[in-house]
Amino acid sequence: MTVTPPTAKAVTGGRPVPPSGWLGWVTSTDHKRIGVLTVGTSLVLLLAMGILALTMRAQLAQPEQQLVDTHTFNQLFTIHGSGMIYMVVTPFAIGMGVYLVPLQIGAPGIAMPRLTLLGYWLYALGAAVMLAGFATPLGAHADGWFSYPPMADSIHSPGAGSDLWIAGVFLATTGTIVMGWTVLWTVLRKRTHGMTMLRLPLFSWSMIATCLMVIGAFPALLAALGLLAVGRADPSIFDHNVWNIGYQHLFWFYGHPVVYVMFFPYLAAVAEVLAVFSGRRFFGYQGTVLSLLVFAALSMSVWGHHMFATGQAANDYYSLTSIALLVPAGVEYFSMLGTIAGGRLRFAPPMLFALAFIPQFLIGGLTGIMVGTPVIDYHVTDSYFVVAHLHYVLFAGSAFGLFAAVYFWFPKVTGVMLGHRLGRLHFWLLVIGANLTFLPMFALGYLGMPRRVSTYAAFEGFGWLNLLSSIGAAFLAAGVILFAVNVLWTLRKRTLGRAEKAPDDPWGGHTLEWATSSPPPRLNFTPEHPVPPVTSFAPLLDLRQRQEVTAVDRSPS
Amino acid sequence: MRQRHIFGEVFTLESIIAGVVFVVVVAVFVYALIGRRAGRQVTASQRAERPRLEAYYVGVLAAFSVFLVAWTAWQNHREHQTAAGPPVRVDVSSFQWCWSFNYPQAPDRRTVSGSCRGDDLPTLVVPTGRPVQLRLTSRDVIHSLWVPHLRYKMDAFPHHVNTFTLTLDKEGRWRGKCAEFCGERHRTMHFWIKAVSPDEYDRWLQDQPGGGQGAAV
Amino acid sequence: MKRHLPFVVVAGWGALNGVLLAVLAVYGESSMVFWLWGGAVVLLALVALAVLAACRSGPDQHVRYRVPDRGAGAVVPAAFGLLLVALAFVYGLWLLALAGPLLLVAVALAVRGTTAREE
Repeated sequence: MTVTPPTAKAVTGGRPVPPSGWLGWVTSTDHKRIGVLTVGTSLVLLLAMGILALTMRAQLAQPEQQLVDTHTFNQLFTIHGSGMIYMVVTPFAIGMGVYLVPLQIGAPGIAMPRLTLLGYWLYALGAAVMLAGFATPLGAHADGWFSYPPMADSIHSPGAGSDLWIAGVFLATTGTIVMGWTVLWTVLRKRTHGMTMLRLPLFSWSMIATCLMVIGAFPALLAALGLLAVGRADPSIFDHNVWNIGYQHLFWFYGHPVVYVMFFPYLAAVAEVLAVFSGRRFFGYQGTVLSLLVFAALSMSVWGHHMFATGQAANDYYSLTSIALLVPAGVEYFSMLGTIAGGRLRFAPPMLFALAFIPQFLIGGLTGIMVGTPVIDYHVTDSYFVVAHLHYVLFAGSAFGLFAAVYFWFPKVTGVMLGHRLGRLHFWLLVIGANLTFLPMFALGYLGMPRRVSTYAAFEGFGWLNLLSSIGAAFLAAGVILFAVNVLWTLRKRTLGRAEKAPDDPWGGHTLEWATSSPPPRLNFTPEHPVPPVTSFAPLLDLRQRQEVTAVDRSPS
Repeated sequence: MRQRHIFGEVFTLESIIAGVVFVVVVAVFVYALIGRRAGRQVTASQRAERPRLEAYYVGVLAAFSVFLVAWTAWQNHREHQTAAGPPVRVDVSSFQWCWSFNYPQAPDRRTVSGSCRGDDLPTLVVPTGRPVQLRLTSRDVIHSLWVPHLRYKMDAFPHHVNTFTLTLDKEGRWRGKCAEFCGERHRTMHFWIKAVSPDEYDRWLQDQPGGGQGAAV
Repeated sequence: MKRHLPFVVVAGWGALNGVLLAVLAVYGESSMVFWLWGGAVVLLALVALAVLAACRSGPDQHVRYRVPDRGAGAVVPAAFGLLLVALAFVYGLWLLALAGPLLLVAVALAVRGTTAREE
């Protein structure tokens, strides 16, 4: 079918969509439904992965505890890490792109919608396959999310759980790559009239950088998994060091860019929220766009900093590129701080999460410079210091961006407002929880606690720091439960017709998605909700400013 | 203990820098939070960018990263300079789930090992003041030799030998650990590293082998 | 130039990767790394060419769109077919006997153009 998106004058139209049956959902080519499926699936998995983490924190709260045995514990950290990275934070980021990018660029749909749908299904089935490992006799895969051979071969990690892990991660990553392609093609080739590249909203720009990394780096993970699969059929290939170190190169060639795939979309969501709730245009747009692209290119070159201690990597080079990341990162902080320092701040729940992102992610970033320094990394790698660092980046950073995005776009997606009071409570519990959980881990790693240990001896003196961390995890659990309650309750009230209806633009948004109805119609824009003229990267802000000027001109002086 | 000293210097400097950056960012952040809230009747700035200021800022960041890259690379090389004089050589072999230390320079090519169950940990005995070259490998999966007190670790690969040199400048006994996840008993794969005076070391090395006494020094 | 900006972004980004790879060559790494990253750079160059071809064949911004949904019903059977193919590597190649028919169903649905009604 061929459609013309309605502009203010056009009369051709989209068709409104009443909610239909489940078959309409699972085979929909509507990018909004595919986006909601992706984001919804990853949020459900987020809760499951959180339960695994809480079990580990319960066990580590005191020395020499044995709530679960070592083998089970090894499965927990493996599936928690794999699940969060392959099945939650990455797909959620791409899913946001699937939902938002066509709206932000004024298109009626996504490029290659059927392929996008296939991508979602591969991701969802892959996640199910990985988790199915728990049902096998020897349990799920138990070798960490990066699963180095020879430890991950069939001699040292027997059982179908490991095979299912390979199959599941392979399927899910294939799905993610497919979705990355379609999002990239959409933003490059489906922009509406007036939406030039330099008028793209920041979030859409972040998806360009993100999808370029997905396309360039993610195939390396498929290759690494293929190598592992071959090695499980014939473990003797890992008698050659070249395949052991080669696996690490293949894996981290994917494994570092994915960190930025799990960062840029959330950073950009935070940037959009900061701008909207500061009541002003995002500060330093061009510098930020450029820095995102440079950041993404550098991120393809830093993977070896995960291998400083192997004695088989060009440490000086990877350290050079890792430390160089501080330049684009500094530019992004300049813009974020510039936006709020010249703004007029309103503290709604999305803004709270976006604001907390700034100092919390900074801790992750600054310690990132430390672990990017070989001399420091030799001591802290594979210790709790790294666990603390990566959770500051991914939880105190990206997950806060994730929640900011959920509170921000929930009214647009569902047509109802998410409860503010529970949102604030959720926010404060999460701030306390995140810092209380992850700050002590820096000290633990420095003092010599290795990661991936199921328990630790009392004389090592790690007890009270671990206890603090576990108490923090309880706060996180409470916060996330409140979030789930808030979402489910709001959706329930919507079904009953008692929820607070969301207007088209509840926050005073800047980008095109706020010009259409909440939720948007099947083809995104209708004659009643046409695509407004695209005059900059914040077209709705321009529109309001023009209206204000006209109003002032017309008022009698 | 060159590793420990260099780690200390670099970690201290980077911590101070990180602290200063954090304080500056938080200062701007708190100013915005308090001074720019809507309740204070401020109006949002219309200024979309400050390219000149940003260019200077990028220049400062770039210069700073050049310094940091060069200085830390130099420290890394300083850390790995091989000391003068012939080193004491120890061949370290790691396996699921313990360590064995082989002294090829001992008359009896002494090997010290253990089971890493309970208190049965092997001890790596080294002399103070002399460079000790560890040749590190693995018999099965990848392990990693980590002595937290020395602020250093290196991975042990099967079918590959990694080499590094330690010099301990005081006597003492510290715990070492496996840092790379290696399976069921990874968490108890510990050992002792014990530094003794060169005289005592030589005496120990010349000792006739006798039922695991090496481990007990 | 303006019309080809999408191409410039992708090609420039790939080229930046190439520059960083060249710097790595100065430092030296194992040959495998150059194959790996070199392969990625080639892949990105191909993506850039695809974008260039698309840019040359159509306008930069659109007023008319194709929103294809014919045969969307084939997607779910195709995904389950691929799932069985992946599981065949775990539980044995006999699963391909199930995957084959499922994928054929998917092809049939795609050819027939079966789509769930969304209205």
